[in-house]
Order: sequence, then structure tokens, then C-alpha cells
Amino acid sequence: MRTIEIRLPSELSVLEPLQLFVESIGKYVGVEEDELSSLSVAVIELVKNGMEHGNGNDPEKIVTISIDTFQSRIRFHIDDEGIWEPDMAPGFDPGEGEELLSCRGRGVLIARNLAKWVEFGLSPKGKTRVTLIWPLN
Amino acid sequence: MKIKEEMKGDVLIVSLSGKVIGGPELMDVKTVFQSAVNHDVSKVLLDLGKVTWMDSSGLGVIVSGHTTLSRAGGSLRILNATKKIHELFIITKLITIFETYNDEQEALNSFGE
Repeated sequence: MRTIEIRLPSELSVLEPLQLFVESIGKYVGVEEDELSSLSVAVIELVKNGMEHGNGNDPEKIVTISIDTFQSRIRFHIDDEGIWEPDMAPGFDPGEGEELLSCRGRGVLIARNLAKWVEFGLSPKGKTRVTLIWPLN
Repeated sequence: MKIKEEMKGDVLIVSLSGKVIGGPELMDVKTVFQSAVNHDVSKVLLDLGKVTWMDSSGLGVIVSGHTTLSRAGGSLRILNATKKIHELFIITKLITIFETYNDEQEALNSFGE
């Protein structure tokens, strides 16, 4: 197992470099070519949620991404500096009812559908941690 | 991301290309929809065929455009959604809201039906 940790300010400008980085890592560890963009979309949706709901889009606050690769999977821990609960976030699941036409709030829904495993919990520091696991063939 | 606009009859074709990844440039897309309505154009066809990457922020702008144009009595329809974008429409159930086409002429004709 090897771990890569990256620390990002809560700024949208970091998303495009992050997208390229995630896809590079994915390609390196064997994620199928056709699935690379799905992986990067899932990760970036969760990072954006951390920036917004955990860090209040404060560029001084950091989102930390820890990436561990195993023989059969790649795991992302996405830690922010807040303690938000996903079920409490406004517009968490706009896929139902009147919220279908909400202009925001689809990120977690998309991440959960694209990734094989997404789980919310707490980091050792007691802050929000989202874990995404992507199996490798 | 780049935005290209072209009028065909009374339909505005808005073509996006590149990555739709969030940030201030998405406001430009919203502005295009609002500007169309301000100029009495309420039929818009959004061509996503050259979009290489998109997440929920792109969907949010598309929904915003749908709302803007619907209120003006028109509609926003989708052209050339890639397989990955189509998947996002299915996940979010927006596929139940939007008419999607893979042929431009068919899409243009649909506005007259």
C-alpha cells in the first residue's frame, strides 16, 4: 500500500488540476480508460461538497485528500474542516419531487451513483471524512 | 470551456466545448440563456457534443436555463449528449425533464411540433 496526500484550498480553481491528477492516478493503478472520468467526477463532487458544506468556501480552509492504493482497489479519504452531516445539507438529494429542478445539490447523489462505495464519517480529528473506494480489475 | 452561439430560424443553438467544471465561466452560460430571453428568443438547443467533462455544476446551469426559458414560454432541449453526460441525466432523473436528440435537424424540427 502507498499513500498520497494532497492539501487543497477551498477554491474552485483547484478543481481542474485535481481532475487531471485523479485521472492520472486512476490510469496508473489500472482504472479502465472509460471509467476515468467517472472516477474524477465522483471525487470532485465530494471535494466540492467539502469545500462548500465543510469549509464554507473559505479559501483559508483546507480539503485534504488521502489516496491509498491496494492490489484490488483505490481508496480516497476526503477530509474537510467542518462537521456537516450530508443529510442536513440543503438539496442533498434533489432527485425526488419538487427538488428535481433545484439548480444545485446533486453532487453527492452523482458521486454515490458513479462510485462503487461512498461513505460519510469522521476523521481522527473529528471532522467530516468521506471515503470513496473504487475497485480495480 | 468555450461557448458558441448560432441562430437557425427562431432557434438559438448554444454549443459548449471543453470541460464544464464549475467556476465563474458557468455564469457566462446563464447569461446566454437570459440574454436570449431578453431578445425574445425562447427556443434554445444546447449542443453538448464537444463537452469533454461535466459534473453537477454543469447540470445546475442547464436546469437554470430550463427554468429561464420555460418561464418565457419556450424550452431548452439537449443535443449530442455524450454517453457520460447522458449517464448524469439518468442518475439525477433530469432525463425525465429534458428532450434529448442526437440529430440537429430532428432537434430543430421538434421545436415546431
